[in-house]
Amino acid sequence: MHIPENYLSPSTCGVFGVAMVAVWTHAVRRVRETVPAEKMPLLGIAAAFSFLAMMFNIPLPGGTTGHAVCGTLVAILFGPWSAVLSVSIALAIQAVFFGDGGVLALGANCFNMAFVLPLVGFGVYRFIRGRVAGERGELLGAAIGSYVGINCAALVAAIEFGIQPLLFTDAAGNALFCPYPLWVSIPAMMVGHLTIWGMAEVAFTVGILAFVRKAAPTFCLERQDDGPEGAAALRPVFVLVGALVVASPLGLLAVGDAWGEWGVEDVSALVGYTPAGMGEAWEWQALLPDYSLGALPDWIGYVLSAVIGVALLVIIFRLLAGLSRKAIDFG
Amino acid sequence: MRESLPSWLASSEGYRPGSDRDGFLTRSLLSMTGLLSRLRLDAGRPTRLSPSAPLKLVMGLVCILLTSLSTNFSFVLVMLAIVLVRACLLPSESLRRVASIPAGAAALTFVLMLPATLLGQSHSAALMGTKVLVSASLAMTVAVTTPAGELTGSLRAFRVPSMIVLTFDLAMRAIYDLGRVAVEMLLALRLRSVGRNDDKAGSLGGVGGMLLLRANDSAQTTFDAMRCRGFDGEYAMPPGRTWRAVNVAWLVALTLLVALFVYLQGLM
Repeated sequence: MHIPENYLSPSTCGVFGVAMVAVWTHAVRRVRETVPAEKMPLLGIAAAFSFLAMMFNIPLPGGTTGHAVCGTLVAILFGPWSAVLSVSIALAIQAVFFGDGGVLALGANCFNMAFVLPLVGFGVYRFIRGRVAGERGELLGAAIGSYVGINCAALVAAIEFGIQPLLFTDAAGNALFCPYPLWVSIPAMMVGHLTIWGMAEVAFTVGILAFVRKAAPTFCLERQDDGPEGAAALRPVFVLVGALVVASPLGLLAVGDAWGEWGVEDVSALVGYTPAGMGEAWEWQALLPDYSLGALPDWIGYVLSAVIGVALLVIIFRLLAGLSRKAIDFG
Repeated sequence: MRESLPSWLASSEGYRPGSDRDGFLTRSLLSMTGLLSRLRLDAGRPTRLSPSAPLKLVMGLVCILLTSLSTNFSFVLVMLAIVLVRACLLPSESLRRVASIPAGAAALTFVLMLPATLLGQSHSAALMGTKVLVSASLAMTVAVTTPAGELTGSLRAFRVPSMIVLTFDLAMRAIYDLGRVAVEMLLALRLRSVGRNDDKAGSLGGVGGMLLLRANDSAQTTFDAMRCRGFDGEYAMPPGRTWRAVNVAWLVALTLLVALFVYLQGLM
């Protein structure tokens, strides 16, 4: 679902960028109001779950691949606005360091996966949670919420892809950017997300949520018992992150690109011409493009990328915790 | 007899100090001397898995050297991963210090290399920026995780002359206090500069002179105290188990890193 560089027109990227600046500003304000400073580092771990989930590529017959996002999971654990910030930072790291998703398209990618997905997912979760009580209600809400959330995000991404050839064409009628119109992009994106990748999102969200509620109940916004014992109680979460890092090369089993994430040559081969906006446009050179490390085996590059990504997220949120105001209880 | 207030006392006074520019004092000098007071190098908390201070110093230097010499970006990224994981495990205050200086240095490098990026050589900019980030982070990590005393002790382990170790030791001990004294004096100067004071710069000489006298006093008293406790100018290495199992493990890890460096350089 990561929209690469130059698949969207600069004006589309600009519109989503501006929209996301407003969303991020509101999210920062809400997070400062609702998340205590001592809980901020945990947001980094939650963002790490999202980052790692996006590394597990799952193949679909026909050669395309997709992944889970876990945005609804972060929203359930730490609130929807925390999820907006966490997934946004995870997406920014993926774009800048690993070339997964375009730097210019970051606003659009964040709109889909860091705004639409967690807010819709959390809304559905809250609706079901209010009607079905107990642990069953929570897990059912998480399952349906995450499924609806990822499909809404995929639909929005498909619309963004699909409006490009309708809005931006050259004199010969050839598309300047993404060449597939709505009636191609929507079915292509939705088939995978309504089936396998939607199920993968449900499996990741429900699996991690059930594990966290049992093994580390303090890993959420509501429980406040921190301190030395609190840190020890979070150990199972760190072990789970470590296990996901080690298992990340499983994402390499899926060969092929996700729909709409091909290179320029592949697009030219598929449609018979190179869209002018994609051919000679600016492209960011990531440090570890496609999570690979040059001469070293792919699995080493994958594990190293996972380590760098998770460590960066933890450091960023620990530094943000230092910047946020400490809540003082005068009561 | 009824006395009334003299007219000059009864009249209301609307004192408004003339506008005065003290940006030089408040921003530049205070922040510079504030930096001095933050140079205290004892935030390290050695655990039983930490290498000894001399070994840590050697490892830091070797890692910085390898990172600088590496022409293979893969090795620099492996070092980046190691540095980031180490930074994750630091206490919050140390993390802030380790993160801020290298991030600033890397950002400056990136800005300096911006013309290369615009000319299509963004790989060079990324390589240089990452190298600076890794090297500066390594140096900062060694500095914040090693108490000042152990750092001087490790210098002696490498047969550095005692006179140099003494100078380094005294400077390390005094620098934090001098920074604090400088901040206090500059604050006092600022508080006493009520209204418009055109002679602020003139007082700076006084502040500098006071600092010099304090530094001299501080070094002399510390040295005298050391003499009273039996210091004879020689830094003797305390007898102890220098070859702990942990140190051997760290040496093996360092050897593996050097082997990886050689292997990756061979691939270029």
